[in-house]
Amino acid sequence: MDNIAGRKPAVVWATQISAAVLVILWLLPTVGLLISSFRSADQIAGSGWWQSIFPQEQNIMIRAKSAADQTQEGALYVIEGNLFEQEGLDQGEISAWGTSSRAIAAYTSGQTADLGNKGRLSVQANGDYRFENNSEFSGKRGQRVFLTSVSPPNFTLDNYKNVLFSDGGDGMAKAFFNTLTVTIPATIIPILIAAFAAYALAWMDFKGRALLIAFVVGLLVVPLQLALIPLLKFHNSIGIGKGYLGVWMAHTGFGLPLAIYLLRNYMVGLPKDIIENARVDGATEFQIFIKIILPLSFPALASFAIFQFLWTWNDLLVGLVFLIDSTGDTTIMTRQITELLGSRGGNWEILATAAFVSISVPLAVFFFMQKYLVRGLLAGSVK
Amino acid sequence: MKKSLMTGVAALALISSGATAQDLKGEVITVSGTWLSSEAEIIESVFDLFEEKTGATVKYVGSDSFEQQIQIDAEAGSAPNIAVFPQPGLAAGMASKGFLTPLKPQVSDWVKDNYAAGQSWVDLGSYADANGDKQHYGMFFRVDLKSLVWYSPENFEDAGYEIPESMEELKALTDQIVADGETPWCIGLGSGAATGWPATDWVEDMMLRTQAPEVYDAWVDNSMPFNDPKVIEAVEEFGWFARNSDYVSGGAGAVATTDFRDSPKGLFASPPQCYMHRQASFIPAFFPEGTVVGEDADFFYFPSYESKELGNPVLGAGTLFAITNESEGAHALIEFLQDPKAHETWMAQGAFLTPHKGVDLSAFETDAERAMNNILLGATTFRFDGSDLMPGGVGAGSFWTGMVDYTSGKSAEEVTADIQASWDSLK
Repeated sequence: MDNIAGRKPAVVWATQISAAVLVILWLLPTVGLLISSFRSADQIAGSGWWQSIFPQEQNIMIRAKSAADQTQEGALYVIEGNLFEQEGLDQGEISAWGTSSRAIAAYTSGQTADLGNKGRLSVQANGDYRFENNSEFSGKRGQRVFLTSVSPPNFTLDNYKNVLFSDGGDGMAKAFFNTLTVTIPATIIPILIAAFAAYALAWMDFKGRALLIAFVVGLLVVPLQLALIPLLKFHNSIGIGKGYLGVWMAHTGFGLPLAIYLLRNYMVGLPKDIIENARVDGATEFQIFIKIILPLSFPALASFAIFQFLWTWNDLLVGLVFLIDSTGDTTIMTRQITELLGSRGGNWEILATAAFVSISVPLAVFFFMQKYLVRGLLAGSVK
Repeated sequence: MKKSLMTGVAALALISSGATAQDLKGEVITVSGTWLSSEAEIIESVFDLFEEKTGATVKYVGSDSFEQQIQIDAEAGSAPNIAVFPQPGLAAGMASKGFLTPLKPQVSDWVKDNYAAGQSWVDLGSYADANGDKQHYGMFFRVDLKSLVWYSPENFEDAGYEIPESMEELKALTDQIVADGETPWCIGLGSGAATGWPATDWVEDMMLRTQAPEVYDAWVDNSMPFNDPKVIEAVEEFGWFARNSDYVSGGAGAVATTDFRDSPKGLFASPPQCYMHRQASFIPAFFPEGTVVGEDADFFYFPSYESKELGNPVLGAGTLFAITNESEGAHALIEFLQDPKAHETWMAQGAFLTPHKGVDLSAFETDAERAMNNILLGATTFRFDGSDLMPGGVGAGSFWTGMVDYTSGKSAEEVTADIQASWDSLK
């Protein structure tokens, strides 16, 4: 690389800059999602995430305390407090305020508004207010105060609490372990089967091998939705019904074509000499597979394992059809998350947060096995 | 003698209720539906009552892809005992394939006698079975009221506006708000894959306010074509509100892209982005946190034309329980829904309306809901959401997309002709 850099710095620069641009483009939505996951639903609806990281001027409405909180000072009835503290907001800087939705900036901070027989209200820049009246305050709801204020960024951990610990945390914890129960066997079983099949298709001579390979490759284009009802009918008729065994088998079936194709392409690229040497030395096919092919194919195995793990982890459809029965005893994380979204799917803040909760395990797997992923991706493509 | 007879009857009643309690001990009844999170907790609290009463166990599973899943499960033979359908169209489709079990005849009689406008609820729950014979499959439980306009009473007070009593007044108020330099309406049609549905409610409400109920029925079952001048008139009535940039927050161009869940938030913005929002009774779920219905927000009946003498028509929708996998427990659960307690349990937890005439109205969580239920019970004409009754390809397809096209500028004639064409292609 060094000497190339010495010769063609412009090309290197161009690649690096375009790589950086691509990385930023790819990361931007993720960063937005991450920031949104720390904002409340009303904040998300009110302004974009890019605005939330800077102090911003905003118009909000906060109610003063209600008549129930009034105190008596001599002949005066008084309601006092701080608008920001009441709402649990960080201290902002009020520039203008008003008491009517038609004149939201009628007064500047420090001024006193005379509301006739409703009393006199003054609001300070830091949100402190004093509402006084000669007669007793009445009414259930407090006076509305419309503020124009500059507020510091305000973030919350409530969404994470909601996702992780709603119904005492049982739901999500149970779903987490259920998801692991689905994904780990659903990753291992197809690899076991595919490795044997791939070896046979790559190195064992038999009639119709090419046709069989073509058939397996052809299966790659079959959409799995096509098989949902027939397969479930089949599971019901042989007595598996809905359950873990069913979902493992379904994931295995849906994952096998790609697994076989990927592993076979990799194994075919292994040096022929080694295998022929082993055959000459009297090794059986099984010994060749175990002692030579498997260790050499490790990158391809690992990369397929990552793929399979990722999509069984993120899967909702197959889980819904083959695992989750109408008793509701089994659930998986993806379903738990859609349930949190609510009947009309409007809880964006939950969506953003849940995305980060459910991404955590795949991310860990990815970073742990990253080098195999790249090597495996190149499997068969570069010889 | 008389006294002993009475005790005898009481004892018999006790025995019979005790008998059902024992019958169902250990039986598991599975239910699936679209209610999730907080609504799922509420329906489970209703089922708790049933469990106490009978000793059976009810397992409820909610899913946001219920519509697809129930069909897969029914086809494959692993359907739950009871499915809670969000609208009749899907239930009718499943009935025609023979996946539903008819309710017992006494249930139909009971609904007829005990629901307000009982016969219409039986009709809405009756579909043709696999042989083409009409049978009663669906028991309605939980109704939504659609003909409501939401507003902020304090904003009305600040501006000095009165609640309109007729459509003429509503239009005059709309013009007055514009004259005051403000925006009267928040309208949002966005809803992911279902974008456009809020506009279908508008058009249906307008149909009921410009035409007789019989015309509405003819429109819904397509004995009157979709591009009839009467329908075009109703669509244009909606257009009067939605296609005028002065009338709608964000301008007419924003109507189709604004999410219906975000749209009502404009009522509570500072300064208000709009003053009125027409939406069904469920919408307070999407008001900003801490909004109290009846104080921060309130509603009025979407008024009818004073000049047209069509009474006070009301548009509604509802969810229905149907048996997808017959068992004794499933029938018992349907029977349990006749118990006023089942209705009152949900009423006390909010966002629940019922046509059941025997419920204790004081069980409602808020006065606002009591008032809504009174609109429902006092309607001179009640009609079910037409798009839910039309075939899925129209009512949950071309009608939605057509209304999006209409708000984006296509003419009402063109849009309705397209929708009729899509209906013809389904026949």
